[in-house]
Amino acid sequence: MRNRASNSLSKGKIRQSWSKYNLYNLQRLRSPATANRTFFQQKWTAKALGRAYHGEQVREGQWKRMFSKRIRSVIPMDTSDLAADDGSKISAGRGSGLQNQEKGRPSKIIPYTQMAFAPLERRLDVAIFRSLFASSTRQARQFVIHGAVTVNGQKMRHPSYLLNPGDLFQVDPERVMFATGATKTKFERRETRQLKQKDEKDEDSEEAAEAKSEEATETKPEGEKEDGRDTLKALMSQAKNIMSTDKDVLPAKRKQELRGFQKAVRRVLSRSGTSTILTDNLEAQFSELTLMLNAKRAEKKPAKQSKQQSNSEESDSAAAVTEETEVASDKLSEAFQAAAEGADVDASELSDEEFEILKRALTQMRDNPIDHSKPYATPWRPRDYMSAFAFIPRYLEVNQNICAAVYLRHPVARPGSAEVPTPFGESINTPAYGWYLKRRW
Amino acid sequence: MAPRIQSRSVSNLLPYLTSSSSTSSHIPSLCSSSQSSRHFSVTATQQTKLRRQMFEWLATQGAGLKHHTPGDTNYLRMADGSQSNRPFPNNSYFISEPVLSEELRNEVYVRVKEQNKSPRAVSVELGIDMNRIAAVGDPLALPYARAVHEMIPTTPLAQAGERQTYHEPINDLPVHPATGAQIFYPVPESRPFTRIDAGRVFSGAPMLEKKAADKISHPSDLAEDVLQKPSTIEWVGKGEKARQVLQPADVRIPHPQLVQLARDRAAFPEERRAVAQRHAERLERQEKAEKERAARTADRRKRSTETIKPTDSRFAFRIQDAVFTEQTVGKDGRAPWAPGRRYGVPRNDRTRGTVKIPTRVNV
Amino acid sequence: MVLRIRLARFGNKHKPFYNIVVAQARSARGSKPLEVIGTYNPLPIERHGIPDHLAPPRPFKDITLDKARAKYWLGVGAQASDPVWKLLNMARLLEEKPKTYQKA
Repeated sequence: MRNRASNSLSKGKIRQSWSKYNLYNLQRLRSPATANRTFFQQKWTAKALGRAYHGEQVREGQWKRMFSKRIRSVIPMDTSDLAADDGSKISAGRGSGLQNQEKGRPSKIIPYTQMAFAPLERRLDVAIFRSLFASSTRQARQFVIHGAVTVNGQKMRHPSYLLNPGDLFQVDPERVMFATGATKTKFERRETRQLKQKDEKDEDSEEAAEAKSEEATETKPEGEKEDGRDTLKALMSQAKNIMSTDKDVLPAKRKQELRGFQKAVRRVLSRSGTSTILTDNLEAQFSELTLMLNAKRAEKKPAKQSKQQSNSEESDSAAAVTEETEVASDKLSEAFQAAAEGADVDASELSDEEFEILKRALTQMRDNPIDHSKPYATPWRPRDYMSAFAFIPRYLEVNQNICAAVYLRHPVARPGSAEVPTPFGESINTPAYGWYLKRRW
Repeated sequence: MAPRIQSRSVSNLLPYLTSSSSTSSHIPSLCSSSQSSRHFSVTATQQTKLRRQMFEWLATQGAGLKHHTPGDTNYLRMADGSQSNRPFPNNSYFISEPVLSEELRNEVYVRVKEQNKSPRAVSVELGIDMNRIAAVGDPLALPYARAVHEMIPTTPLAQAGERQTYHEPINDLPVHPATGAQIFYPVPESRPFTRIDAGRVFSGAPMLEKKAADKISHPSDLAEDVLQKPSTIEWVGKGEKARQVLQPADVRIPHPQLVQLARDRAAFPEERRAVAQRHAERLERQEKAEKERAARTADRRKRSTETIKPTDSRFAFRIQDAVFTEQTVGKDGRAPWAPGRRYGVPRNDRTRGTVKIPTRVNV
Repeated sequence: MVLRIRLARFGNKHKPFYNIVVAQARSARGSKPLEVIGTYNPLPIERHGIPDHLAPPRPFKDITLDKARAKYWLGVGAQASDPVWKLLNMARLLEEKPKTYQKA
């Protein structure tokens, strides 16, 4: 299908897209003039505007067949009102309550015509866009066609699949990260190119070198003892550097920093003397380190009270504080002590704030690493102007963590609100609804 | 030729754009600036002008929209310059409603999966729709998730001891299409006209007999019977037009037991413990009935399907019972709803207007 | 003439789908059978991306079968073709077909 959905400024049509052109068009949208225009003209303009946004990728005939004049609506019921009256009070007298009865709060109107394009929200491509998994419906459509979307665990290649209530759809997280992430800068693109050019040979040699340095660091700490405090401090400063979102830092430098941090982490872990440290697995490293830090934190209080406590007592108190991870913390607190040469030194070393920073740096390093092989800027950050379009309608329950969403029910109108996300007011949606009410083909 | 006309008449063609975007007074000066290089093109200058205005706007008023502040929505400002939770300034009926925060989602998960509470109970406790509770899945982590949760409003989990704010209305009554009609229905003033009677009128059923009507003190009395035994709902009409009598709102809302609780509370304001006790019993009965019903359908399905896993095959074979009788395959054995593909029946896969893609994906 | 319980191929290119039919042995594959008693989908169904506790341990193939009719037709002397024999064996309506080398 040819993409006619340009975000041109001269036409000023609004699309289902996060483009800045679209944002600008949305900002300068005003309701169309009605003076000197026939009712037919008004409806024509309204439907043209509405269709440019709602299901522009759907052929007109297809949409006409989908259109339904029946609009779903719900009324939120108040159980105490229902309990107070069985309906006979309202219908008393001449059918609308007794004269002297006080009137309840005035009910808001149900904006039915705002739901004119509701059937389109059932489409798989539109639902993916609404769940914030794609930056436009066109992109969502491409994801579906390229096989990156499953419905209820089965691959679904039809963007026009109409979701049924309870359907779970899932998009490949890499695609979502690409669609919603910022684009690469010039430097990052160059890095990517360089990465591609690298031979396997180079990779091999690098790995060998790293392994060597690792061995070197492993042998070192046994010799020098007072190094513990320094290591921790270095770790802290590196963590701070990583957390700073300074954009002036060149990616190459940033990469270097990260690598250094990773190495430092590995060094600390290697001292702790547990068996899992030698794994290059970042995941394992991370869990290890956070556990250690938690254990250390638990220790902190008693350490401050009396610094000369013996090791065994200390670990006991730590275990008492963190009851859930009793065995683990026990072991790890010992490990950390071993790592940092004397618990009393670094227990008072880190403030709460620093601890938080370290933790966040670790989290970020694990969840959001620099990886130039990805098609988006790393570490991942949301694309520009995304926030202006970020909302999730109530009929979807989205789990961003696994890029999955459940289509709970069809969108409904309720007093004072309509669930179909439409940029237009009633001045456009009502004539558009009127246009489709009459079948003229 | 068309472009030349366009530049002058844009303001007439697109009345829904702000006037600032296409004021004709500025055009000549712009034309003159680029006239040396482009003699014929008028649209080009028009485009550049709009582009210039757009980038101007993006640099000034729209600058704040580029990046978000965590924990705050960042939508277009209203006409009066105020920030709100409405993503579309022109649509006052659409608001960006909060989603479940990570903590609340985890709490739901813990209560349903680990504490084995029923979705109905959790729904009332946390004020979350029952469908939504069924949809909450296993947790995981990603930077994308964090960023999204920074941009959109979320419903936080209440601290220990605080009252949980309701995420959404949980007692939504769907508007039944039968209630769309305006019906003139004369009733004697001496007789109370309740929601039960209204439902009967809408579905065209005769009025309840006095004896039966007197038994029911309040429409919510019906709720328990209907929930225990959905087959007790009366039918009216014949053949194709047969339909169930429209039940009162007290029965059709998702949490009918809350009406009974409210009534009980109003009737016995002193006996709090007894009221709570009765409510718990009602809930238990209801859950028991629902569980039994679910178990029965699961059992029926299990009995009719059988999975065989041969040791020498990579695949399992699922054998489902089917009954090929006159009722299931039609008189001539060619009914479209019969299991299997049919002989001599035209395939509708090319006809206009029929859906050719799957309409359902079974789990 | 012999009655056969056999498969009749439906579906599209590369997407086979079979009806399990009772037909005269010498009639064409695509002709109208005496009766359709079931279906067989030889394309295995796999599930991706759903939670492990919901996912089936191995891909499965779908069979629907009217066991009562199958029993009846076998009772009146209908012979199952080899592929159908395998399916009916799995439905426990027939013993496993004796292999030729066991005869000797």
